[in-house]
Amino acid sequence: MKYGAASGPETKMTTPLLEIRNLHVRVEDNEILKGVNLTIDRGQVHAIMGRNGSGKSTLSYVLAGKEDYEVTEGEVLLDGENLLEMEPDERAAAGVFLAFQYPIEIPGVATLTFLKAAMNAQRKARGEGELSTPEFMKAIKDASGLLDIKQDMLRRPLNVGFSGGEKKRAEILQMALLQPKLAILDETDSGLDIDALKVVSEGVNRLRSDDRAMLVITHYQRLLNHIVPDVVHVFSNGRVVETGGKELALELEAKGYADFDESHAA
Amino acid sequence: MNIQTPVRLSAAEEALVSQLESTGATDAAERLRVIGLPTRRVESYHYTDLKTLLSAVPPLARQGAGAGAPAIDIPGAYRIVIANGEVQNTGTAPNGVIVSKVAGATLTTRDDVLVRLNAALVPESVSIELAGDVETVVHIDRRMEGEAAHVHSGAKIAFAPGSKATVIETVSGSDAGHMGNAGSYVSVGENAEVTHILVDLSASQATHFASLEYRLSAGAKFKSVVINAGADLARAQIFAEFTGEGAHGDFYGLNLVNDGQHKDITLDVTHGVAHTTSTELYKQIARGRGKAVFQGRINVAQDAQKTDAKMMMQGLMLSDEAEILTKPELEIFADDVVCGHGATCGDLDESWLFYLMSRGISRTDAETMLIRAFLEEVVEAVGEEHVIEALGGVVEGWLGKAG
Ligand SMILES: Nc1ncnc2c1ncn2[C@@H]1O[C@H](COP(=O)(O)OP(=O)(O)OP(=O)(O)O)[C@@H](O)[C@H]1O
Ligand SMILES: [Mg+2]
Repeated sequence: MKYGAASGPETKMTTPLLEIRNLHVRVEDNEILKGVNLTIDRGQVHAIMGRNGSGKSTLSYVLAGKEDYEVTEGEVLLDGENLLEMEPDERAAAGVFLAFQYPIEIPGVATLTFLKAAMNAQRKARGEGELSTPEFMKAIKDASGLLDIKQDMLRRPLNVGFSGGEKKRAEILQMALLQPKLAILDETDSGLDIDALKVVSEGVNRLRSDDRAMLVITHYQRLLNHIVPDVVHVFSNGRVVETGGKELALELEAKGYADFDESHAA
Repeated sequence: MNIQTPVRLSAAEEALVSQLESTGATDAAERLRVIGLPTRRVESYHYTDLKTLLSAVPPLARQGAGAGAPAIDIPGAYRIVIANGEVQNTGTAPNGVIVSKVAGATLTTRDDVLVRLNAALVPESVSIELAGDVETVVHIDRRMEGEAAHVHSGAKIAFAPGSKATVIETVSGSDAGHMGNAGSYVSVGENAEVTHILVDLSASQATHFASLEYRLSAGAKFKSVVINAGADLARAQIFAEFTGEGAHGDFYGLNLVNDGQHKDITLDVTHGVAHTTSTELYKQIARGRGKAVFQGRINVAQDAQKTDAKMMMQGLMLSDEAEILTKPELEIFADDVVCGHGATCGDLDESWLFYLMSRGISRTDAETMLIRAFLEEVVEAVGEEHVIEALGGVVEGWLGKAG
């Protein structure tokens, strides 16, 4: 636990924001996560890199509360609270946000209607009243302007017919509007062109703050030039096999995963 | 075996026979006495076995009933009230609309018990002729008022060639176990652009039957929307016939079914001449032990070359006990046609629910959003803004009812 709770320079509290302890998860009859340990403090950005199929998205879904995953062992604490007992909407209210690797298309639900419902649900959870239409429209205009998202895209049904890159941007727009405590970005960089990668990374960086944390899943070191992580984890076969600083990503890029497979799992 | 033994009549059948006799409709009475109400063995009633489903028939409606406030209020609409079958004073009709009363019913003779009852028992019908560009929406407000009654009503709606108009019919009334039987004969003149809507909003103890007959002339552009959102037991029958080349029809419908209810939309479209096209989109949603039935039949006559018809049924089941039944049929006698049908049925998509909930939206709100999205496609097809709003209100009303 070199890079655990103690390493956060400005750690004010003793409770980490996210603590995953020995998490084992099955899907149908397959064990996909095989003892994940991961601790993230407020203010930190952690990156996860790992082979296709190693369980990164599974971890992100389990954190967000998707059904069909059976936790057989271990626990997940958000701010010291048992995250696994909460419904997905309760987790969102508690500050968890997942930017999906494959954002879902929902025909018939207008994007703006959805965004308003999401923002109002969050306000309700905080005991605040609903946004007025002008307040809402201003928030949308500001946030989408920063992410270079066209207004007419938001008038279409949610994610329907959005290009791959547009979907990813729309995820970051949602994150910017919902201001989560813990943002999990699952391959947000895939499908983005070079300019979009910059715009999206800037969007993510704007959200970095002392009381938030991020878990960035990616295959490419390139993203980490834009979103510079405090900690990098290598994921292999359902667990974290190596943890290091940002230079670990460079090492991975140079050597590939072979050196980090199973044998290194301590 | 050429002597038909009269079936043993149920209480409902006895009541119907004596109602028919009391108005002098002896032929219809005799026919009902001999064949009884249709059972599941009658193909067109296979899923809606009236002999079993109809346990009682309320007494024939008395006229002179007052009508309460309209079930839906469409701003700027011209409203005609038919209360317990009686066409009421109608006020000044808008430009291009002529309203009158005609004696008796308006449906064409057809071998169907509901049509026969309507033909025999409708006291008078409203006749509406529309010409030119009628900007005012015409609202036929059919009411079943007072104590539980067996109510028959009729309308004849004639859209002149080249006219543009929207007519919406609603069925509603007092909170009683009424049984309604509404008939509409709708003719659409050459090149007319017309929307006809029927919404059942009758009380949840009520039974409601509707039979619609559409005649579509050459070049007509027609839209039909039928929504079952009220009666406990409802059946809407739509008989559409393309009689002129180049006509196009879009047929839409919704069956909104609550626990314990039974709602049926039975569609029969005949492409009788060449070069006519149609689309059919019917959506059904059922809660609890609700049962939704859609039967859709497309007939293409031998001379009706170049017919293009696409029929789709989509069902959404909100509980494990809900039943959604669909029977598509194509009967095609021409060889150069494009006809197809499809059906999908399922429950709410878990991955959609998860996505919405992962943004903080509660399960109930997420479900409501998805159901609304499912139903809105039909509502929005209507085109006329105030009517869309009113039908949106009908959908919201249904969504608001406890599951
Ligand atoms: N519902 C499921 N049923 C069966 N197997 C599943 C299911 N979901 C995931 N898996 C399996 O779990 C493993 C991990 O999948 P996961 O999507 O978490 O990988 P990943 O690390 O995100 O990969 P990638 O880099 O390709 O996105 C894969 O082998 C996958 O096939
Ligand atoms: Mg993945």
